[in-house]
Amino acid sequence: MPDGMAEAKKPATERRRKLALRPWLRALHRDIGYFAVGLTIVYAISGLAVNHLKDWDPNFKQVNRTHQLALPVPSDDDAAAKSALKALGVREAPREVYRASDTQLDLVFDKRTFHVDTQSGVVHEEGQTARPVLRLANWLHLNRGKRAWTYIADFYAVFLLFLAISGLFMIPGKKGLLGRGAIVALLGAAVPIAYVVLSGGP
Amino acid sequence: MNRFQPELEKALARRRFIQAAGTGTAILALGSVYVLSDELTREAQAQTRSDGRPRLPPGQRVIQALRPMGGEPGDPSPGAYRLRVYGEVEAPFELSFAELLALPQIEQALDVHCVTTWSVLGAKFKGVRVADLAARAKLKKSARYVIFEAAHGYTSNISVRDALKPTVMVASQLNGAPLARAHGAPVRAIAPEFYFWKSAKWLTAIRFSDHDEPGYWETRGYNNHADPWREERYA
Repeated sequence: MPDGMAEAKKPATERRRKLALRPWLRALHRDIGYFAVGLTIVYAISGLAVNHLKDWDPNFKQVNRTHQLALPVPSDDDAAAKSALKALGVREAPREVYRASDTQLDLVFDKRTFHVDTQSGVVHEEGQTARPVLRLANWLHLNRGKRAWTYIADFYAVFLLFLAISGLFMIPGKKGLLGRGAIVALLGAAVPIAYVVLSGGP
Repeated sequence: MNRFQPELEKALARRRFIQAAGTGTAILALGSVYVLSDELTREAQAQTRSDGRPRLPPGQRVIQALRPMGGEPGDPSPGAYRLRVYGEVEAPFELSFAELLALPQIEQALDVHCVTTWSVLGAKFKGVRVADLAARAKLKKSARYVIFEAAHGYTSNISVRDALKPTVMVASQLNGAPLARAHGAPVRAIAPEFYFWKSAKWLTAIRFSDHDEPGYWETRGYNNHADPWREERYA
């Protein structure tokens, strides 16, 4: 083959070699994306939930009720507890019956406490029940355990970085990073920058 | 089909009326709550504390009752409760719930300010002053910080100078009733001069330390000092 022709073909070969990276990028992006779906859902749902902490309790439903017992309430603690629970229709046995003061008897259960005023017969029931999925999601998101989850969250963050960066290079042509993609990516990056500028920052 | 037309129209009209009435009622109710709350906020903004600072710190809005704000609950059992006071002290000690209640109790109306921008004014907390517990433990001169330790490893930190102020306490009652689980039963810390996360719920220990130890939220991007009047919300 003449030298001139070989030179003319060289750029095309290099281009093909460069383009061969894209299928790898796509495959990795796809599989890491699938792998990250579960965690992304956990973090997204929990993020929405804890972002509005001041408006609601995303972890627990609160129980607050007042009851009235017939008087007199028995003076013996165990008898008072038994009589109160019977009147309140509670069949479960309390974890603890605690004499908090001369006029207050606490009946402690796993998820609620009855504070019985033995003089007036007024019972204040209070407690909280966990929101099943949200509580777990929030626990993971806020990393309350602060143990191995720290490393899992780190890996997840690295995966997200990879997904973001690899996503930039996946699409060739006008809709890729050299065209519309760059404009959209810049618009996205402008959102936090504009917020910091407009709000005055920390 | 025409025979049923008037009934159908009547039913649809009734449905529209009920929907409109329901929506109107909801808007009115929400609007009233909003106006009432704003009235409380405006009133508080017009007031000044004895130290000259405004009663309501900047960026806060007054609501009528404490919100739970989450956290990993501790054991609410008063019978199993122990409060440990230790660290840079001559005489560390531990108290049961009954022993804590047997100490001189104070009840004070305090304003509390949550970092999420709500404030509750005049919440009546009953309990024991941290200063009294510190006096019993006999602080060493090296004690410079107080670390409130709570269930599941939660901690918060303030300086000893701040902790010994008369408004700082460990509380077992709120507004005349035993502390609810959501608010840290059986005992929580109260440090009203700081954003409310410093007032650790489900308190298990008060540790005096010779050095500062940023706590749970302080190591997660929140301000180490947390003065509401300086809006020290984040690091």
